[in-house]
Amino acid sequence: MAIDKDLLDIMACPKCKGDVNVSENGDGLICDACRVVYPIKDGIPVMLVEEAKSIEPDPRD
Amino acid sequence: MPETFHYHENQIKRRRRKDIKGLDYASIEKIYGGQSKVYDTLFKRFFYPRIKHAIGSMNIQPGDKVLDVGVGTGLSLPLFPSYCSVTGIDFSQDMLRQASKKVDQMGLDNIMLTQMDAMDLKFQDDSFDKVFISHVVSVVPDPYRVMNEVKRVCKKSGTLVIINHFKSRFKVVAKVEEMITPLSKKIGWRSDLCIEEFIEKAKLKVSKQYKLKKIDFWHVIFAANEK
Repeated sequence: MAIDKDLLDIMACPKCKGDVNVSENGDGLICDACRVVYPIKDGIPVMLVEEAKSIEPDPRD
Repeated sequence: MPETFHYHENQIKRRRRKDIKGLDYASIEKIYGGQSKVYDTLFKRFFYPRIKHAIGSMNIQPGDKVLDVGVGTGLSLPLFPSYCSVTGIDFSQDMLRQASKKVDQMGLDNIMLTQMDAMDLKFQDDSFDKVFISHVVSVVPDPYRVMNEVKRVCKKSGTLVIINHFKSRFKVVAKVEEMITPLSKKIGWRSDLCIEEFIEKAKLKVSKQYKLKKIDFWHVIFAANEK
């Protein structure tokens, strides 16, 4: 099940309540502000803080 | 069940205050994760007619955004019209897997699923036109936190539809329900909620409330979202 754009538009990061975007390989939802990724398991986004994984800082920053 | 989920449960157990009345998260996941395969059989027999009736009465308009809180194995999903978009959330990953199978098998393009805590919704304010909350209020640690969240993510004057069991007005039945509350908690269900108290505490502007049959354990509540 692909992540619909409408769903992305209304979803908020569990930590900061900011926007999330689909990762390049499509296996997670990334919050750029918190630098964390929320996994997508079997096509289902897992929007739980405890499931978030840290990602490398953005080199552009 | 994946190890990460056990880790998550342990984190939540530590994080949540112990004074929350009712059911705890670990019990909910254990009960509903374990029930996901028999859930459809049980729900089809006992709950499906009410769910079908309530969704059919929601006056869903083309383009409406609908949130289904506690979507479970997705029994309700084919009942929503294809011209609206539905987001189904549940705390149980096992349940959602079953729901996802249905979505794929039935080709329900208008349905999206996500794992989330109903007491802490990860949606922006005013995201939905209508919210459907079926058989959830009695199975969460704090029903009023769920209602606060639901009201936040629903647009002003949007429709809230709640299907739930509430304590009987008949004293004898109510007494029996009180007595079986500890037992019913073990199967993931609280039976001692009073409908008047629930409506007052949740600050619901009720447009209609009814039972599908004269003798029915479950109430259907329609309310307009006041902000």
